[in-house]
Amino acid sequence: MSKFNFPFIKETNELSNLRKEVRDFITTCINNNEFTPSPDAWVFSADPSFSKKLGSKGWLGMSFPKEYGGHQRTALERYVVTEELLSSGAPVAAHWIADRQSGSQILRYGNEKQKSSIIPRISAGECFFAIGMSEPDSGSDLASVKTKATKTKDGWKLEGRKIWSTGAHLAHYMIVLARTSPASEKNRHEGLSQFLVDLSLPNVKITGIPDMTGQRHFNETLFDNVELSDDSLLGEEGKGWKQVVGELALERSGPERFLSHFTLLDSFINEFRISLIHSGTKIVGKLISEIQTLRRMSFSVASMLQNGESPETQAAFVKELGNKFEKMMIETLREFSNIVPLHEWPNQLQNLFEDATLRIPSNSLRGGTTEIMKGIIARQLGLR
Amino acid sequence: MIEELEIILETTSKILQKHVNHSLRQNIVSENTDILNLWKDIEKNGLPKISVKEKFGGYEIPFFSILPLIKIVNNHGTPLPLSETILSNYILSESDINPPNGIVTFASDTKNLQIKNNMISGEILSVPYLNLTKNLLIVHELNNVKKAILINEINGEIIHEKNFLAEPRYNIKVEDLNIAEIRPIKNNIDFNFLGAILRSAQMIGAMEKILDLSINYCSERKQFGRALSKFQAIQHQISEMAVELSASSAALSTITELGLVEKNSNDAAILKIRAGFAAGKIIAISHQVHGAIGFTKEYELSYFTKNLNSWRNDFGNESFWEEFLGKRFLEKNNKNLWEYLT
Repeated sequence: MSKFNFPFIKETNELSNLRKEVRDFITTCINNNEFTPSPDAWVFSADPSFSKKLGSKGWLGMSFPKEYGGHQRTALERYVVTEELLSSGAPVAAHWIADRQSGSQILRYGNEKQKSSIIPRISAGECFFAIGMSEPDSGSDLASVKTKATKTKDGWKLEGRKIWSTGAHLAHYMIVLARTSPASEKNRHEGLSQFLVDLSLPNVKITGIPDMTGQRHFNETLFDNVELSDDSLLGEEGKGWKQVVGELALERSGPERFLSHFTLLDSFINEFRISLIHSGTKIVGKLISEIQTLRRMSFSVASMLQNGESPETQAAFVKELGNKFEKMMIETLREFSNIVPLHEWPNQLQNLFEDATLRIPSNSLRGGTTEIMKGIIARQLGLR
Repeated sequence: MIEELEIILETTSKILQKHVNHSLRQNIVSENTDILNLWKDIEKNGLPKISVKEKFGGYEIPFFSILPLIKIVNNHGTPLPLSETILSNYILSESDINPPNGIVTFASDTKNLQIKNNMISGEILSVPYLNLTKNLLIVHELNNVKKAILINEINGEIIHEKNFLAEPRYNIKVEDLNIAEIRPIKNNIDFNFLGAILRSAQMIGAMEKILDLSINYCSERKQFGRALSKFQAIQHQISEMAVELSASSAALSTITELGLVEKNSNDAAILKIRAGFAAGKIIAISHQVHGAIGFTKEYELSYFTKNLNSWRNDFGNESFWEEFLGKRFLEKNNKNLWEYLT
C-alpha cells in the first residue's frame, strides 16, 4: 500500500493569506450582486466576464511560466484559489477546463507556436476549452474512439464526432483524441494522437444536448472533414494515450470532486443551526470528517503534481471518495427532512437541494465512472 | 531522529517476522515461552520505552512520530500489548512517573472508582492482556484534576472475560488495591484522544494486512476456471477496501507529521471516525471475498478482523466522535462551515 501514500502537506501562512485575498474578492463580488452562488458551478455556471476578472487578478494559469503570461506560482497556490472559488459557488465554468487541464497539457506537449498563441489567453481568462474524449460509441472505453485524423499535404483532416463536450458552445478550442493509425492487435492504446482544434474552423458543428435538468452544457461536436494545419498535432503522433492519461490525472483529483455542492451544505447549516444542535450534531460531524479528509488528500495530490509526478491512481482515489461523499451528503440532508419537513425549508434552500438531488448521479460519471476508477485502483493492486 | 526511527522500524519488522505466526496468536498465555521470548526481544530493543523520557531510560521519540511503529506491530498481528505499553509508558513518563519494566496495560474505562489512603476500589473495564502483566495504568479524574495512576500488583475478581482468540480482554473488580504511583497528568495530554489515535494506528496496520491477505488469496484461489482476482466484481470490492484504507492512512499521517496542534484537536476525532468507518467496510468485504476459509480459526484473517471489531469501539466509536465534532462546530462557533474548515 505504500504506493498510495498521500503525504501530509501543511498550508503555509502565504497560502492562508492568498486564501483570504480570494475570499475577500469573492465576498465583494457577491455583495455587489456580480454573481449568485450556484451549485455545480464549475460545470453549469459560465460567466466569461467573471473569468476575465479572475485572469486580471492573476488567479488563472497560476502555475504557468511567466513568459507565457502565467504567474509561475505553485500547484498548491492554485489549489487554494480553486477551493475558495468552488466553496462559494462562483461562476467558473467558462474557463474551468482550460485552466485545470488544457493549459497544462499544451505546456507539457505543445510546440512553441501553440504555447505562445494560447497560454497567455488562458491566463487572461479569454480562452476557453472543451474536452474531446468521449464519443457516441466510446464512453468508458476511451481507447475505442473512432474519430480519425488523416495526414494530408498541408496538415491533417479530422473526421468524427465527440459527445458530452461540456461548454463546447462557449469554448474556443478542444483537445481532440483521435486515431492516427489503426490499433495494433496487441495494444489498442497505440496509434492515438491528440489535436488542438480551433472550434471556429469550417465544418465544425456544435449541437447542444439538454441534460435531465433541462439545462445546456453538454454538446455533440461534429468534425466533418475539418482541415487542420500541420501544427495542430499536440505532442507526439501515436502517443495520445499516454498524454490523455496524464490529462485525466489533472481532471480527477481536484476539489471539484467533493465541493460541487458545498454551497448547499453551507446554506443548510446556516439555516438549521439551532435544530442541528438538538438533533443533528452527529451528521454534521460525519460530514466535517469526510470533507477534511478529502481536502487533505486532494491537497496532497496537488503537491504531487507540483513535483512533476503523475498521480493517476491517487487522483482516482480522490475522485472515488469525493463522489461517494457528495452522494452521502445529499442523502444525509434528505434524512434531516424528517426533522424539518422539506416544504418548510426556505425556497432558495429547497431549490438548491432539489437541484443537487437531480444532478448528483452525474458526479460519478463525468471524468470517469466509478467502475473505471475502481479498475484503475485494481490494476495498481496487481489484480488485473 | 528520523534515521533513528527508520532503524527502529526495520529492526522491529525483523523481530516480529522471526517470532510472530498464527499459532503464537492462539496461545496468548504467560506460560507460553514463545510469547515470553518475543517480549524479551522487544524489550531488549527498547521498544516499550520508545517515547519515554531519557531520564527514565527511554528513547524520548515523540509519541506522534512513532505511530508508524504502532502500525507495523499490528500489521504483523503481534499478540502482545506492545501498543498499549508504549502509550502507557509515554503517559507515565509525561506525568513524571518512572515506567516499570515489562508489559504495562491500560484500562480504557472504569466504573464506581474510589481512591482512599493510596488505595483503589471499583470496576476496571476492558483491560487488554491482563493475563500477561501485573502493571496497569488508569487515568482518572480526581477533584477536577486528571491523574495517572500506576498499579503494579493488579489483583481482583474477574467479572467478565473476553477471549475469542484475538486480544484477550478483562473487566475486573478490585478492592483496596495498593497504588504504586499517582500523579497529575501533564496539561497537554488527553488520554481519550491519545487512545483514539493509538487504536486508529493499530487498525490501519491491521487493515493493511487484511488488504494484502485478500489480494493474495484472491490471486491464488481459482473458481470457474480462473483466479478470483480476475472477476471484476471481486476487483471492485478489493478496490473499495484500498480506497477506505487510503483515506484512513491520510488522516493518520496528518497526526504523524503535525502532532496534535492542541491536545483535543479535531484531527484525532477525524482519524477515529475515518478509521472506524473503514474498519467496518474492510471487515465485511475481506470476509466476503475470502469465503468460508476466512471464517475459520485456522486461517489468520479472523485474528485481524476481530481486533478491528474491538478497536473501533474503544475510546469512542464513530458516532461518539461525530457528535463531538458536530457539537464543537455548531455550539462553539459562529463561523460558517467553510471558514471553520479552513
